Amino acid sequence: MNNSDDLKAIWHSAKTDSLPGPDIMLQMIKRFRSQKLRNKWLVIVSSCLLSCLIIAVLFIVHFTMPVTYIGGGLMAASGLLLAVTNIRSLKRFYRLDDCSNLQFLAFIEQTRLNQAYYYKKTQAVVMLLCSAGLLLYLYEPTAGHPVWFIGIYGLSIIYLLVMWFFVRPRYYKKGAEKLNATLHRLESISEQLK
Amino acid sequence: MRNFEEIYNRYSPQIFRVCLGYTNDAEQAKDLVQDTFISVWKGLPNFRNQSHISTWIFRIATNNCLRALEVAKRMPQAELPFNLTEQAEESTEEKLSFLYRCISELEETERIIISLELEGLPQAQIADIVGLNNGNVRVKIHRIKEKLTKKFKAYEQFR
Repeated sequence: MNNSDDLKAIWHSAKTDSLPGPDIMLQMIKRFRSQKLRNKWLVIVSSCLLSCLIIAVLFIVHFTMPVTYIGGGLMAASGLLLAVTNIRSLKRFYRLDDCSNLQFLAFIEQTRLNQAYYYKKTQAVVMLLCSAGLLLYLYEPTAGHPVWFIGIYGLSIIYLLVMWFFVRPRYYKKGAEKLNATLHRLESISEQLK
Repeated sequence: MRNFEEIYNRYSPQIFRVCLGYTNDAEQAKDLVQDTFISVWKGLPNFRNQSHISTWIFRIATNNCLRALEVAKRMPQAELPFNLTEQAEESTEEKLSFLYRCISELEETERIIISLELEGLPQAQIADIVGLNNGNVRVKIHRIKEKLTKKFKAYEQFR
């Protein structure tokens, strides 16, 4: 092995026969192209639908207490906030097709920072709006029935406490550790190009 | 050249070798080829020839390689892709195995740069893909080749 031509000759000796033909690749593309973003779209569509449903209920059903409208409004707002956040994060999947490695690294580094912000702030705001909204919304239907009031509020409060103090911290810890590891690796790769 | 089939036939072996140089794993390289051509298939109707089509495709492929770090902590370093050299002569097989091992020991961006260089892309195009200037790429290629050549010399001396 004396020069780079030898290296190139060795490099090109790799067999590529095992690659699928264009017809099979097209079939695979059609099957898989929508799967990657399916979960994200599912969150967007379902949170929008839920928000629309809540707003429709608020308009159609005649409620007597303003607190019900405030509660419904907060829940609808939390759903829309979740949808907007996910729509914004979709950009990264559509904007990256013609950029250099350097631009790409900067962009995913930024989106990872946004994601960290989401875990820290946005997710807490969404949950706060939704929790407050739920508690306010449930007041009117249960106000005249002490047993229902205690039962429904008891269950709701337990559910919210579990979400706030068990599920969310666990989810946050798991996501934050992974994110920090990714960010660290991205930084070290970006450094290689400086 | 705007026909997907033509593009696939022409570039898929090159993309596969580049992804393989990066990952040193045939299955993962195939997945990256698939991801690359999903993006090509989707982006082809809107491709505006702002860059050469091969630059565009190699950018997608190398960005996919970099994105793979989000799913794999570290690419496997010492394994030879088992199905690549079945019919090759023994010496070529050994050398190819050693080349992949040497490349896998390089840093991520060095792996991309040397894979594109070995694939025969002009240095200006490599600079366009990676996002560095020509001079910088030239220096990097020179250093990487030196590293590889040294390793190969040591390998030939001691085998």
